[in-house]
Amino acid sequence: LEDFELLRHITIGQYLPGDSIIHRLDPRTKLTVFLMLTLVAAFSLSYTANAILLTATLGLVLASGIPISYIFSGLRPALPFIVALSVLQLLFYGDAYTPYGMASQTLFQWGWIHVTNGSVQLVIVSLMRFVVLLFLTSLLTNTTPMNDLTHGMASMLSPFQRVGLPAHELSLVGTIALRFVPLLAEQLEVILKAQASRGADTAGRGRLRFVTTARQAAVLIVPLFADAFRRAEDLVLAMEARCYTGGRGRSSYVRLRFGWIDYVALAIGLAFSVTMVAMRNWFPV
Amino acid sequence: MLLGWTRLGFIPVPTAAGNATIMHVPAIIGGVMEGWIVGAIVGTLFGIFSFINAVVPMFKDPLVAILPRIFIGITAAGAFFALRRFHILVALVAAATVGTLTNTLGVLGMAVIRGYMPLNVAIVVAVTHGIPEIVVASIITLAVVVAWRRVETGRQKAKM
Repeated sequence: LEDFELLRHITIGQYLPGDSIIHRLDPRTKLTVFLMLTLVAAFSLSYTANAILLTATLGLVLASGIPISYIFSGLRPALPFIVALSVLQLLFYGDAYTPYGMASQTLFQWGWIHVTNGSVQLVIVSLMRFVVLLFLTSLLTNTTPMNDLTHGMASMLSPFQRVGLPAHELSLVGTIALRFVPLLAEQLEVILKAQASRGADTAGRGRLRFVTTARQAAVLIVPLFADAFRRAEDLVLAMEARCYTGGRGRSSYVRLRFGWIDYVALAIGLAFSVTMVAMRNWFPV
Repeated sequence: MLLGWTRLGFIPVPTAAGNATIMHVPAIIGGVMEGWIVGAIVGTLFGIFSFINAVVPMFKDPLVAILPRIFIGITAAGAFFALRRFHILVALVAAATVGTLTNTLGVLGMAVIRGYMPLNVAIVVAVTHGIPEIVVASIITLAVVVAWRRVETGRQKAKM
């Protein structure tokens, strides 16, 4: 019966209540700093830059009070993939990648296996970047309730309304999507049980018989979609009946407020990111 | 009336419960049923979900996880609206194929560019995963859209 329990597996950035500095920051501050640091992580190629980033984000995680074991707990099932991909990178990427800050050098060669200091750097840097980004997403989603995030996103997008971007509607879509994830997961469970009780083979996955797999999936997905669309129509009707007319001139129940601590956090985040990007070619290794 | 937007909120949702092979199908369906803008939004949401939930280094990179996904719905909608006059079922299969290819090639292409995967490994993955994904995506897209059209014509026409 464990196959039918889907709700347990759906954790899109579970919010962990707390009272740290990071919990108390405005969601807009967190989003901005998150975006800046993500970009820095994406553009850092050297050992030094990634080590600095790793230390900085680790400090933030410790400050937020999120248990580190919690952050890594989701990784276990993916460990074989991570190892396999790293090994592939290490063995076959030697010639294609010139290492940062070092002359390319072959460390080991056997047949077409070719390990260079470039591929070693590639593996270590991608793993470090992975941990940095894992920390960053946890910092954002584990310390901020989803609703605050969508409100923050809406208010950050609102300046773009001048050029025709429907900021309010976009955040509405986001909120609805998140709201209905548990509901539709529940619905999927119901459909799964209903089909299984009629003798549908929903669990067996043929490796190469993908038409069978598709038909098995279609048995679940088609009713789910039909149900989702029907619910959406109902929601539209309910909103129209309550004279909902979209974003213009609408005030909000949740009001976000910037405190001095937000300005400080933004300033530090900006200074850090600009320095890291400006310095990215100066690091020795 | 922009209330049609609320309907979009529902489309990305089945991704949350689906498995990896059919995760991109909602973006295709969104693009086919509501146009390329919707397809792009659903694709972006799918990308963000997969970025936040990622447990493999490759997908923890926004350039791999989010960027290519924006285009799934756009290319799928393009293929669908280009071929719709020809034959609706052909157009649906084409949209599913093009959308899936956008996903597979986009993600693997970015993975190669960003150095997560050597080119020859990516090609093997593209062939072994791409083909089943195309078949599965085509069947599901076809089934969902046809089923929904039947529901829609049976009831009153939806307000959009």
